[in-house]
Amino acid sequence: MPERIKHAPLDKDRVKQPRGEIHLIKDQCKGCGYCIEFCPKKVLEESDEINARGVHPPRVAHEDDCIMCGFCTAVCPDFAIFVVEKMEGKGGKRD
Amino acid sequence: MIQKAADSKLKDDVRIGVYVCHCGLNIAGSVDVAEVAKFAAKLPGVVLAQDNLYTCSDQGQAGIKNDIKEHRLNRVVVASCSPRLHEPTFRKACEEAGLNKYLFEMANIREHCSWVHLHERQAATEKAKDLVKMAVAKAMLLEPSVEVEVPITRGALVIGGGVAGIQAALDLADTGYKVFLVEKEPSIGGMMARIDKTFPTMDCSICILAPKMSDAGHHPNIELLTNAEVSDVKGYIGNFHVKVLKKPRYVTDDCSACGECAKVCPVVAPNEFDVGLATRHGIYTPFAQAVPSTYIIDMNICLNKNGVLACDKCLKACERQVINFDMKPETVELEVGTVIVATGADVFDPSGLPHYGYGKYANVITSLEFERLINAGGPSGGHLLRPSDKQVPKSVAFVQCVGSRSDRNGRLYCSNVCCMNTIKDSLLIKEHWPETEIFVFYVDIRAFGKGFEELYKRARNAGVKFIRGLPAEIVENRKTHSLWLIGENTLQKERYEVNVDLAILSIGLEAWKDSEMIQRLLTLSRNQDGFFLEAHPKLRPVDAATGGIFFAGCAEGPKDIKDSVTQASAAAARAGILMAQGKVTVEAITPITFPEKCKACGLCVKVCPYNAIIFDKDKKRVNIIEAACGGCGTCSAECAFGALTQKHFTDDQINAQIDAVTEEEPEKKIVAFCCNWCSYAAADFAGVSRMQYPPNVRIIRTMCSGRVSPKMVERAFARGAGAVMVAGCHLGDCHYINANYQTLKRVERLWKKMEASGLSRDRLQLLWASAAEGERLASKISEMKPIIEKVSHEEIEKTRKVFEKSLGEG
Repeated sequence: MPERIKHAPLDKDRVKQPRGEIHLIKDQCKGCGYCIEFCPKKVLEESDEINARGVHPPRVAHEDDCIMCGFCTAVCPDFAIFVVEKMEGKGGKRD
Repeated sequence: MIQKAADSKLKDDVRIGVYVCHCGLNIAGSVDVAEVAKFAAKLPGVVLAQDNLYTCSDQGQAGIKNDIKEHRLNRVVVASCSPRLHEPTFRKACEEAGLNKYLFEMANIREHCSWVHLHERQAATEKAKDLVKMAVAKAMLLEPSVEVEVPITRGALVIGGGVAGIQAALDLADTGYKVFLVEKEPSIGGMMARIDKTFPTMDCSICILAPKMSDAGHHPNIELLTNAEVSDVKGYIGNFHVKVLKKPRYVTDDCSACGECAKVCPVVAPNEFDVGLATRHGIYTPFAQAVPSTYIIDMNICLNKNGVLACDKCLKACERQVINFDMKPETVELEVGTVIVATGADVFDPSGLPHYGYGKYANVITSLEFERLINAGGPSGGHLLRPSDKQVPKSVAFVQCVGSRSDRNGRLYCSNVCCMNTIKDSLLIKEHWPETEIFVFYVDIRAFGKGFEELYKRARNAGVKFIRGLPAEIVENRKTHSLWLIGENTLQKERYEVNVDLAILSIGLEAWKDSEMIQRLLTLSRNQDGFFLEAHPKLRPVDAATGGIFFAGCAEGPKDIKDSVTQASAAAARAGILMAQGKVTVEAITPITFPEKCKACGLCVKVCPYNAIIFDKDKKRVNIIEAACGGCGTCSAECAFGALTQKHFTDDQINAQIDAVTEEEPEKKIVAFCCNWCSYAAADFAGVSRMQYPPNVRIIRTMCSGRVSPKMVERAFARGAGAVMVAGCHLGDCHYINANYQTLKRVERLWKKMEASGLSRDRLQLLWASAAEGERLASKISEMKPIIEKVSHEEIEKTRKVFEKSLGEG
C-alpha cells in the first residue's frame, strides 16, 4: 500500500490515547537506570542532580510522549516511580 | 581459410523445401520475394523453393504437408515472420506430415528485414537472401529429436490478492486445483476494496467485492497467505518450487475480530488503507470487511520490541488469548505447476509536481483520497469534507491526467481508468450534494467502454462543467484555504481563473516498485513503463514469455475492474489448460555429450545455472539431468574440447550459419548473435514498430547469449566479418538465471585478446537489450554502421590472421 501519506488523519483530535503523569520518588532511586533504558517511548533521561543516596535519579524529559504503559513502575527495583492517568484539561507538569 | 562446416558433413540424402512468404505486402512490399525464392532454389540441398502469399494460412500449410509427401522433403525452411510467432505453427504442420518438428527451420525476413528496411528494396532483398541461405545451411545439419515429457504439478500460485488475483484463484479453485494466494498486505482486496463506487453501473465496490473475498477466504481449495511475500522461485513450467516468507501477525487464526484489543492499545498511527485520513491502533484490522479478519500488530509502533513485553494491555483485553508476541517469520515452501502474476498497480505520487501544490495545500487531494472520503466506511463516514476546515465543499475541481500522458509530468501512457473514475466521482458528489459546483479540467475525455459514454452524458446533464485545458497552476488563498486554478481553456482560447473549495487530482496508475523483484524471481520482461510484457500483445495477451506463468489485472497494464476480472478468468483458464493436460513436453534443446572428447575439466559443471550437470569422479565424465536442464547452452559454449553441444543449436549448425553470412562480402556485414528471450525479441519489437536501421546486420538466434562460444566470434572474424555483435538480456534479467554473466566474461576475454593483438575492440560489440528495447538494438546497429564503413582491408586481413591462428591452435 502506498506509504505516501500527505494529509493528517481527520479523526486525530477524537482519537483517545492515554496520557500518563509520571511521579518520581527521587530519594528512593538507586540510579540503576532501568526505567530510562526500558521506557518504550524514551520519556525519561538521567538528571544532573544528586539524591540522598548519592546517585543521579531520572528526570522526566518528554512527559507528553508518555502513554501510560506502566513499564517503568514494573521494572523499578526500588518502587521509586509510578504513573497515574492524566485527566482531560488538567495538563501541565507537577513536581 | 576455415573450412565450411556444411561441406564437411554434407549429406546426399538431404532434401530441403524452402517457402518464401509474401505475408501480403508485409514482406513483398520491400523484398523481391520471387527473386529470393529463385535464389533459394539454387542453394545446395534445396529440391524445391517457392513463394506463397500467406504461408501460415491453411492452404500454405497444406502445401507444405503435401510437398513433404510428394517431394519426399526431409527438411523444411520457411522464410517469413519471427520464429517466436509462427515456429509452433509450422512445426505442427511438419509433424502432421510425418516429419520430425526439429527438421524445420525459419528465416525471419519480416521483423528482421522487410519491416526494418522499408525503403531499401535492393538491400532488403539481398539481406533476405542471406537470411534464407543461413536457414538452409542450418537446416542441412538439423537432426530429429524426441522431446522429454515432464509431469505438471496440479497446483497454482497466485501472486497478489486484488480483485484479479481473487478471481483467478476462485476460478482455478472451482475447477478443482489447489491454489495458493499470496498477498503482501494483511488483507486481500487490493485497490478495489478502497474504492467507493464502480463505473459505469455505480455499484458499491466493497459490496460486490466482499462476497468474493469471503469466498476466497473459505474455499477448501484456496490457501490464503497474507502478510506474505514470494521470496524465491526455482524450477520451470509445471514444476515451480516457491518459497513464501510469511511475516508474523502476532495474532493467531483463532482471533474472533471482536476488537477489544484495539480499544485499549495506547499507540496510534495513520491507517494506510485510508491513505492516512484515519487513524488505527498498533493492533488493528485495516478495514471492516478484511479477509482474513484476524487482527495484526504493527511492530513498528508497538511498545513491545525485541522480546521486551513493556505493554500488556491487548493481552489482558483478549478473551480468547490469541495474541502471541513470540511469533517469528516463517518460510513456507510450495510446489506448484503454474503461476499467475496479479500484482496490480500503484498510484502515481503527485507530490513531484510542485505547480499543483499536493502535500503543500491542505485542500488538494488525490482521487484515491477522495474515494476514502466519499466512502461510507471511510474516515468521514461518507461525508465529503475538505481537510482544512472539515466542511462540505461548495465547489470542487477535478484535474485529469495527473501523472499520465506526459513524460514531463509523470508517465507517457494513458492510465485508462481516470476519466471514467472522475465522471463517476462527479456524479457521486451531485447525488449527495446537488448544489455543488463541479469543474473537470481535462485533455481528452476517454469514455470508450460499454456504458461509458452514457455516464459521461449523465454527468454533463447533471451540470458538471467540463473545461478542456489543464490548470497551469493551483494557488491557495492563505486565509480561506480555498484554491485558485489558473490555466487556459483551449477550446475557447481564453484564460480561466476558477475558485474552488477542494481540488482533486485524478492520479494515474503506475507499476509497483517491487514488480522488479517479481520480474527477477520469475525471469519475466517488463515494458518501458514497468508493466509486465505479454508473450504476444494480440494473441497471447495473458501468457508470459516464460512457460507456465500468466498475467492478470493491472500488473500487465492499467485497466479497470471489468478488464481485470476478464483477464483473471482468462489467465485461470490458460493455467487450467496446462494443469488439465497434466504433462508438458520440454523442448529438445538439452546438451549432447561426446564422452570420448571430455577431459573431465569440470568447467561445464561450474557454469551450469541449473546444476543439471553432475560430475562423475570415478568415471571421469559428466552426466546431464535433462529434466533439470533449462536449455541455455552455456555449457556447450564453455567446453573447449567440443565434448558438449546443445541440441538444435549445435556448434556445427551455428558455424554453418556464420559461414553462410560470411561467404560473400563479409567485411560489409555485422554478424549478430541474439538471445531468444530479450535481444532477439527486441529485434522483433523493432520490426513490429517499424524502426529503421542499416540492412548490414545478420542475426543468428541462440536461446541464450551464454550459448555464444568465443570460437563462434573468432570464426566470424577469421572469415572476414566486418563486425560482430553479441546481444543478451540485461545482467540480472537472464532467462537462464545468470548464464549471461558467462557471456560478459567471454566477450571481455575476446576484447583483451583483440587489444593485445593491436585490433580495435570496437568491432566486437556487446549489447544488453530487453524485449521492449527495440529502439536500443536499432540504435546500436546504426551506431555500428560507421565502424563497418571505416574498417580497412588491412585491418580485416590482420583480424583474419589473428583469429585463424587462434582457431587453429584451439
